[in-house]
Amino acid sequence: MDARTRILARVRRALRERPKALLPEHPHLLPKEDPLALFLDRLRENGAEGHLLDEEGARALLQGFPGAAFGRGVPEAFRLLPELPPEEAPLGVSWALFAVAETGSVALSGEDGRKAQLLPPTHLVLVEAKRVYGTLLEALQDLNGLPSALGLHSGPSKSADIGQVMVKGVHGPGRLIVAVLL
Amino acid sequence: MRAKAKLYPKEAARLLREKPGVREAVTGATLHFERNRLKAYAEVPIEEWRERAKAVKDHVLTHLDHYLELAERRLRENGVQVHWAETPEDAHRVLREVVHRRGVKRAVKAKSMLTEELGVNPLLESLGVEVYETDLGEYLIQLLGEPPSHIVGPAIHLSLGEIQKLFHARFGTPLDASPEALAQVARRVLREAFLSAELGLSGANFLVAETGTLALMENEGNIRLSTSLPKVHVAFVGIEKLLPRFADLALFLPLTARAATGQRLATFVSLIQGPAREGEEGPEEVHVVLVDHGRTALLHDLEAWETLRCLRCGACLNACPVYRQTGGHPYGYVYSGPIGAVLDPGLLTLEEAYPLPYASTLCGACYEACPVKIPIPRLLLTWRHRAAEEGLTPSWEHGAMRAFRKVMESPALYRLFSKGLRGLPLPQDLLPLLKAWTEGRGPLRPSPKPFHELWKEVADGR
Repeated sequence: MDARTRILARVRRALRERPKALLPEHPHLLPKEDPLALFLDRLRENGAEGHLLDEEGARALLQGFPGAAFGRGVPEAFRLLPELPPEEAPLGVSWALFAVAETGSVALSGEDGRKAQLLPPTHLVLVEAKRVYGTLLEALQDLNGLPSALGLHSGPSKSADIGQVMVKGVHGPGRLIVAVLL
Repeated sequence: MRAKAKLYPKEAARLLREKPGVREAVTGATLHFERNRLKAYAEVPIEEWRERAKAVKDHVLTHLDHYLELAERRLRENGVQVHWAETPEDAHRVLREVVHRRGVKRAVKAKSMLTEELGVNPLLESLGVEVYETDLGEYLIQLLGEPPSHIVGPAIHLSLGEIQKLFHARFGTPLDASPEALAQVARRVLREAFLSAELGLSGANFLVAETGTLALMENEGNIRLSTSLPKVHVAFVGIEKLLPRFADLALFLPLTARAATGQRLATFVSLIQGPAREGEEGPEEVHVVLVDHGRTALLHDLEAWETLRCLRCGACLNACPVYRQTGGHPYGYVYSGPIGAVLDPGLLTLEEAYPLPYASTLCGACYEACPVKIPIPRLLLTWRHRAAEEGLTPSWEHGAMRAFRKVMESPALYRLFSKGLRGLPLPQDLLPLLKAWTEGRGPLRPSPKPFHELWKEVADGR
């Protein structure tokens, strides 16, 4: 007998006369009023920067960086800077699948390219306003097919492991900028 | 990891004597966590969340065979290689195979308590693999050769001064380097490791059976990097970590974050379905090792099985007035604090973990903090009861309890003793024998009459 068989047999033996607990339904949450405003608030509380912009405004955000690593899903209109490898780029630009107001998070697909999301010190995430959900539950229930890796980013990389002092940019980007596109 | 829980009382006393700074550091950090948790709990209908989370976990645990098989099927469909491990040796076999086949020289590791149980680092080092703990706190204690002292903040027992000294000796940074400067040094060293490692190691906060999704929570980005840059990712998952449905993450991710650090969500959440697809960045191979290591025995235990609901958030450690005095090291096993005191006897044997259920005042703060309502105070009593039954408690305690029972059962004896005890010397009179106790406390003064006499006077006067 292998480990799998033995583990499953022991689980079944343990549960033989155990009353079975019911699985509760997911809650029915009221839709958040104005998820956009809540999203921007929570992002800021998480230490990130949030902007509600039109295409022109978002393009202006990119100015001032000498180059960037771009996620695959970033539309041509925003690829204004010289493209650099993510290991060297001062900026990573990603296109988010969706955003969540409740937690102030953007969701990034592995399909878009993980290095641009993680290696540069600053991460600019573009997300369409219509893709901002009120709650995490709505967002997860609405997902159609899962990428190899889905990252939820809710702020700059941080740690308080050194003497309980909060430090930003420990391994991932120390600065997260989110542009919500109108 | 070899358990040294038996030495808890001695080790706790030694630590307080020899490293008084630890109490200060741990108290500061845990009170900070605790304040944040309370604020975060107050923001949501927390009772409803806790009840729901408890119900989902109980459902999974009472259908564990079904969900394990479902998870295995889904993982395989996603291209993940699934392994089962009853013992650390089983887990080591998986690692050995990967290391040899892929010629692994360097591994980057995300923080994981289960890998501490399994002794993953010593095994890899014996195979000649350089292992880098990449969580900043874990990296610090790896440099010091210490085990983690807290489930979430492994290095909370260290003061800034100690870390400055460590980095000065190791990297030549100035003795007054700022936390930012120290973190930048660690970032440089570990970035190099991320970019060159062939193997990434992690645990998992959750494994969703419905979709075969591994969920991992963190604040630094090191887990995302460890599971994205190396060509092979091996995740160790305790069999109790399952969730039934993908959408259950909408409850468990925020609940765990609120309980652990008071955040609405961990800064980075990785939801991993499998290896990178055609043309994508990411690992070519993903392995999941489903680990028992004492968990099925705990599931079998009709009283203690509820402990398996644990999310490893550390909230009970932060709430515990006993843990706060010493941090986790004296507990002598991977899991410390209140959850360790009820989990360790289940995962090890009660004999090995015997003193831990006594490391509590039974104040109940751990239960109030627990996001899945594990009845820790009741379980502490269960384990104490069993310790007495198994004859692990000292024989004088048996004698004393028998005598106490005799006295409490007989009104005449009770009256005699309640009068007689008043004649005994008081603690403050026994100085200097009890100096440590009487210092800083007001003198004990028994009332002139026992309660039952006072009560009789009141009743008669009516």
